[in-house]
Amino acid sequence: MRRRRSLVPAAPGRIGAGAVLVLLVALAPLVYTDQYYLGIVVTTLILITLNSSWNFLLGMVGVWNFGQLAVYAAGGYAAGLIMIHSGVPGGVALLGGGLAAALLSIALAFPTLRLFGIYTSLLTFSFAQVIQFVIINDNTGITGGPFGLPEVRGLFGSLSPLDSMRAYYWTALAVAVATLVLTALTIRSSLGLALRALRDSLPYGAARGVSPLRYRVIAFALSGFVAGVAGGLYTSFNTSIGPGVMGLTPMSIYVTMIVIGGMGTLTGPVWGTALVVAIQQALINHPGIQLTVLGAILLVIVVFVPRGLVGEVATLARRLRAWIAEGDGDEEAEEPELVADRPAEVRTVPIEPARSPEAR
Amino acid sequence: MTDLVAILISTIVLGSIYGLVAIGMTLIYGILRVLDMSQGSMVMAGGFVGWGLLVSAGTSPLLALAAAFAIAFLLGVATQLVSVQPLLGRSGIDFEMITFITTFAVAMVIQNVALEIFGPRQRDVPPVIGGTVDVYRGVNISYQSILMAAVSIGLMLMLGIFLTRSRYGMAIRAVAQDISAARLMGVPIRWMFPLVMGLASALAGVAGVFLGAQLFASPNAGDLPLLEALIVVIFGGLGSLPGTIYAAYAIGLIQSTVSVLIATTWSLPILYAVILVVLVLRPHGLAGRPSEARL
Repeated sequence: MRRRRSLVPAAPGRIGAGAVLVLLVALAPLVYTDQYYLGIVVTTLILITLNSSWNFLLGMVGVWNFGQLAVYAAGGYAAGLIMIHSGVPGGVALLGGGLAAALLSIALAFPTLRLFGIYTSLLTFSFAQVIQFVIINDNTGITGGPFGLPEVRGLFGSLSPLDSMRAYYWTALAVAVATLVLTALTIRSSLGLALRALRDSLPYGAARGVSPLRYRVIAFALSGFVAGVAGGLYTSFNTSIGPGVMGLTPMSIYVTMIVIGGMGTLTGPVWGTALVVAIQQALINHPGIQLTVLGAILLVIVVFVPRGLVGEVATLARRLRAWIAEGDGDEEAEEPELVADRPAEVRTVPIEPARSPEAR
Repeated sequence: MTDLVAILISTIVLGSIYGLVAIGMTLIYGILRVLDMSQGSMVMAGGFVGWGLLVSAGTSPLLALAAAFAIAFLLGVATQLVSVQPLLGRSGIDFEMITFITTFAVAMVIQNVALEIFGPRQRDVPPVIGGTVDVYRGVNISYQSILMAAVSIGLMLMLGIFLTRSRYGMAIRAVAQDISAARLMGVPIRWMFPLVMGLASALAGVAGVFLGAQLFASPNAGDLPLLEALIVVIFGGLGSLPGTIYAAYAIGLIQSTVSVLIATTWSLPILYAVILVVLVLRPHGLAGRPSEARL
């Protein structure tokens, strides 16, 4: 049986498993009330949101953007400033943070259009460095300079500590799940198709009438908005934000999360983030070797499993199904994990008619 | 006038040391298409070698420099064998980006191993030679700075001679120009790659001894030189050796002007702003050209 390769709904089984998992995670704080670990899960969920927005640009749009943490911080600062200087509800502040981050992200989208490959990463990385330096050296008192914004009021000030923690938990979970669902829908929409076309061949996509400028701006705006909301959540959950959320060390940890999980896959950032947080927790008494271990794992994963754990599991599962269904005679029956990896046939299918017009 | 002299001297000293770190990065990129993010940790390693030999063992400065060269060379070869060699010729990956990440991972490991061994404390590295000389009405220059500039320029010249005159240097340039042709001419390209990365790291290690004496030896002493070297190589165009050297002095000039006239803290943000403008106007740096022979 042959399936259409794009615009198909995900396998119902996978959606069901995901829903059950989300439900289990959502019910956990009713039973489990240790605030320390609940707090860690909240942070993890915020990072999953951030990493998914970043992974969208890195793996699905194919822009080597290393300025995402500046966008994330911009959202966090904007949300924090809104909450400090006005009395609007916390949700509005989060949206404000998302919008501010989206604007910054759009500003970053334009220069990346002129660059390719490694220069893109250098430019975006420099951009993040400039933002960080500007904030650290800011002595106007707006951002608090190196000390950051202190004592931002949280989202749920009136609740008891445990209820407030639970409220953050469910908010962060809802945002993370919404991000994943939106990402999945985007990939499967015509927008996703256009982005994929531009990722795999920019000149060809442009020649077929897909505007690189327009779609790059849309992609950066979407990703920036999500990162900004994650930043706003970070600020309100920690009731503060400082320039330390940017920089080399956090960046290296988050990149490790994305790469270990599987860059360009939908669920890769989720598993990667969870795994790295688990490793960090396991090594909590040996802070010195945490980054050494993470660096070594990153190296091993990239060298031996370059598509990450989720990408590799998807390949293994596909092989297993192919092995079980041996004899069907159709080797490419199963769709790979979303647009995860770039199977050659997916890339070439839409190109074929144009390549050999005389054959039609 | 004193400002002018101070800026000029500082430009030469800063530019030389930037050149020494950045030229390794650009050499690696020119030949391997790898942006080596582990160069910063080579600088850091050089700093600790300098500290260890000069302070604890009390050896002669020349020996410390040679030891830093050798140890960084070995570290560079090891880095290449671990993080780049297994990925060569692998299909279905974006080689430039993957190696960007793997060399970054190696840097993470080296840096945190150093943190574990030496602790986070900053350590004073004594100057390789002491003393200062008054150049012009109160503008001092230390012998250390003179030596630093001289050794850097000397090493860059030696690298130039090595690349243009020696058998191995010519093989390296041949690989940079056309890898298939070089292979057909019998150049053992697999062995060129570790050699290049070792050499580049060795230069960074030597720079590390001097930089350690200027600042400190500490596990994150390599971060700033790495960022500065990145600025230099982008400015000059990755893979272009002459471009990198011009860029090193241009960046040195900007940085010393900002430091003397405004404040040292502003020099790095202003450099990054300059880089943003340069990349938007000239996407491949000042002298870089996309996918052409550049050495």
